[in-house]
Amino acid sequence: MTDKSAEQSRDFYRQDVKVGVYVCHCGGNISDIIDVEDVARDLSDYPGVSVSRNYIFMCSSTGQGLVEEDIRTKGINRVVIAACSPALHELTFRGTLERAGLNPYLYEHVNIREQGSWVHKSNKKAATEKSKKLIRAAVEKICRQNPLEAIRVNAARSIAVIGGGVAGMSAALSLGRQGFNVYLIEKENRLGGKLNSLWKAYPSEEDGEKTLEELEKDISSLNNINIYLESEVKKIDGYVGNFSVEIVKKGSPEKIKVGALVITTGYVHYIPFEGEYAYKTTKKVVTLPDFIEMLKDDEKNGSLKNVKSVAFIHCVGSRQNPSLDKPQKDEKVNDYCSRTCCTSALFRIKQLLEKYPDKKIFDFYRDIRTYGLQHESYYEELSKKGVLFFRYPEDTRPQVEVKGDKLEVKSKDILTWNEEVSVEVDMVVLLTGVMPADISVIVDDLKLPIGSDRFILEAHPKLRPVEVPNLGIYIGGTAQAPMDLLEAAYGGKAAASKASMLLSKGEISLDPFVASVNPELCDGCEKCIGECLYPGAIVMENGKAKVIPALCKGCGACAAVCHTRAINVAGYSLEQIDAMVEAISKE
Amino acid sequence: MGEIKSDKILIITTISNSYPGADAVGQSHLEYDPDTYIIRLPDPVLLPEDFYLKAYSKGIAGIIVMSSGSDCPYEGAYERLAQRVQKIYDKMKENGISISRLKLTTICTVCKAAFLKEIKGMRENIEKLKAVKDAS
Ligand SMILES: Cc1cc2nc3c(=O)[nH]c(=O)nc-3n(C[C@H](O)[C@H](O)[C@H](O)COP(=O)(O)OP(=O)(O)OC[C@H]3O[C@@H](n4cnc5c(N)ncnc54)[C@H](O)[C@@H]3O)c2cc1C
Ligand code: SF4
Ligand code: SF4
Repeated sequence: MTDKSAEQSRDFYRQDVKVGVYVCHCGGNISDIIDVEDVARDLSDYPGVSVSRNYIFMCSSTGQGLVEEDIRTKGINRVVIAACSPALHELTFRGTLERAGLNPYLYEHVNIREQGSWVHKSNKKAATEKSKKLIRAAVEKICRQNPLEAIRVNAARSIAVIGGGVAGMSAALSLGRQGFNVYLIEKENRLGGKLNSLWKAYPSEEDGEKTLEELEKDISSLNNINIYLESEVKKIDGYVGNFSVEIVKKGSPEKIKVGALVITTGYVHYIPFEGEYAYKTTKKVVTLPDFIEMLKDDEKNGSLKNVKSVAFIHCVGSRQNPSLDKPQKDEKVNDYCSRTCCTSALFRIKQLLEKYPDKKIFDFYRDIRTYGLQHESYYEELSKKGVLFFRYPEDTRPQVEVKGDKLEVKSKDILTWNEEVSVEVDMVVLLTGVMPADISVIVDDLKLPIGSDRFILEAHPKLRPVEVPNLGIYIGGTAQAPMDLLEAAYGGKAAASKASMLLSKGEISLDPFVASVNPELCDGCEKCIGECLYPGAIVMENGKAKVIPALCKGCGACAAVCHTRAINVAGYSLEQIDAMVEAISKE
Repeated sequence: MGEIKSDKILIITTISNSYPGADAVGQSHLEYDPDTYIIRLPDPVLLPEDFYLKAYSKGIAGIIVMSSGSDCPYEGAYERLAQRVQKIYDKMKENGISISRLKLTTICTVCKAAFLKEIKGMRENIEKLKAVKDAS
C-alpha cells in the first residue's frame, strides 16, 4: 500500500471523493510570481486529489472545458479552482460544474491573485508555498462538502412598495408595467414625496408639479397598482416570497400578502435647533426648503422684492463634528454629506439673480460639492455674476447675530488666509441637510441593517446594489443615501427590476448557505434559538431544533453556541473550517 | 499549552466586507507578509470559543478577526462576536496564551491601510513574544 492510499483508507471522507485541482496562470498575473506548475505538481500527491492541472486562463471556454471533461471522463466529483477572486468567477465555475452534471456547490475557490501574486510580488517562493497551503485547505474543505440544493419557496407575484416619492412611484410604475400586483403605500395624502415642494428643479428646471402629474397619470392608468394614501405600515412578518404586511389605511387596518418589498421611504429635512445660526430667534433665518417655497411664492407675488441681500450657509446639519455641533436624539451628529444641498442652493441663487440681478449674495461654504454632470457650471456662472464666496474652516462655524432689522454673519475665510469677514444682510438661508425618514417599525420588524449615518445599508455597493442581506427586500432612492431626483428614480427602478427578477417564475430559488440541524446530534437544549439573530429562524419540533431556511440569513451565530455541533451553516461547517486550519498549520 | 513554533497568521474575513477589503489591497498591488492565511466566512460570529484555542494548539501564531463592524449585514452579530472575543481572551489567559495573539478589528471593503496595519501589528506582537521567549 502506498503512503497515499494508506492515508486515504483511514480517511472516511475521501473514500468516494475525487478532487480536481486547477491552478490558473491568469495570463502571467499569477504565474509570473507563483510557480503554478510546482503548485499543481505538489497538489497531485495530496490525499483525495485525482487530477491536478495548471492552465493559462481557467475562466476561458477551453479552461472550463478541461474541468467539464475531467468530470465526465475521470469521475471528478469535487473541484478546487485556484485563480483570481471568487467575486469575479465563483458563479462562472458553478455554471461549469452544472453543465457537466455535477452539483454546483461541490466546488471551492482559492484566491491566489488578489490575495497571492499581487500582494507578494517580492517573495515568489513564499507566495508559491502559501498557495500550496491554501489549496490544500480548500481540498480539505471540499472533501467534507455534501451536495447542496438551492432552497425553493413559492412566491406571490405581488409587491409592496413602501413610500410614494419619486423612487417609490418609479418602482411601482416599472413593476406595474410588468404585470405584477403592486401595493403603493404612502403615509401622506398625496404621492410624490419631496417632488411636491421642489417647484422648478435642477437640472432640467422642469416644474416638480408637472413631473408629478405625469407620473400620477401613468400610475393611475394601470389597474394593477393599488394606491394606499394616508396609510402606514404597522407590522411586517414572513419571509421572501411570503411577506405579510399590516397596513392602517385612513384609520382602518388591512393585511396584504406579498412576495417582495421595495422600501422607498425617503428622507426628512434637518431642522436646526433653536438658536443654531439664530434659527427661530428671527424669521429672517430660513432653511433651504423654506427659501424654495419663497422663490415659488415670489414668482406670483414678488415677495422677495425687498430683500436686498442674502447670505447662504452650507453644511447645516451635515458633515457635523461632535465637538462643535449638537447631536440628535440618538446622541450622534450627522457626519455625512447631504450631497444635494450645494447644487440645489447654487441653482436657487441663479434663479433669484435671473429675476433680481442686483441682489447681493454672500455664500459661506466649507466645500462646494456640486457632484453631477455640469452642476459645477452653476458655481462658475455665479462667480462671474458677482456672488461673493467665503470658505469657512472645518473647525469653525459662521456666526449669525440679529442686528436691528439686519443680520450679521461673521466667519473666518480660508480664501483670504483666515481673515475674519463680516457681512450685513436682510436674510440668511441655511443649507439644511437630510436625514432618513423614521421607519423604525419597518427596520425592527425586518431587522434591516442601518449604517452609522442611519440610512439603510446596502448589502454591497458593487456586488449587490439596492439589496439588503434579507432576501426579497430591496431599497431605492433617498432611504438609502442622499441623492438627486434622477438617481432616486433610477434607484427605484433598479429595486423594481431586482424584485421582478426574483418573482417572475412564481417560485424562488435561494442560496443554500443557511443553517441546518443534524437531529441525531441535537439534544434540544435550545441554546441556538437564544443566540439566533432572526426571530423564528430556528424552531423546536419534536424536541429537536429545526431551521426555517427562508428565514435564516446564514450568519452562523447559532453554530458557535451548539455544544454538540449539531447545527452548522451549509458550506461553512465547523468541521470544514477546523480541517482548513489543520491543513494551513501543517509544515 | 505547548510552545507556538510557527509564524503563521490566520485572518478571518467576512464575505461582505473584509474579504473584498483584502481584494482591494490586492487590486492596489500593496504588499504584505506572505505568512498570512485568509479564511472567508459569512461572519466570524459562527466560530465557537474552542475554535481559537484549537487553532493555537495546532501552531497558529496569531489570529486577526476582521469583522464588518457597524457595516455588518447581520444586525447584532458584531456585539455577539465582541462578547465572545472577551471570553476567548479569558480562556487564552487561563491557557497561558498571550492575548496579543488575537485581535478583533473591523475592516470594510476599502479599508486598505487598516488591513495592512493590522497585519503589521500582529507580526510585531508575534516577534515581541518571540524576543521575550529568546531572552528568558
Ligand atoms: C433642499 C433640497 C433641494 C433639492 N432639490 C433638488 C433638485 O432641484 N433636483 C433634484 O434632482 N433633486 C433635488 N433634491 C433631491 C430630491 O429631493 C430627492 O432626490 C428626491 O425627492 C428623493 O425622492 P425619494 O422618493 O427617495 O424620497 P421622498 O421624496 O422623501 O419620498 C419618500 C416618501 O415616502 C413616504 N414615507 C416615509 N415613511 C413612510 C412610511 N413609514 N410609510 C409610508 N410612506 C412613508 C414619505 O411620505 C414620502 O412621500 C433636493 C433635496 C433637498 C434636500
Ligand atoms: S452638499 Fe454641500 S452643503 Fe450639503 S452637506 Fe455636502 S458639502 Fe455641505
Ligand atoms: S444548540 Fe445544538 S443541541 Fe441545542 S437545540 Fe440547538 S442544535 Fe440542538
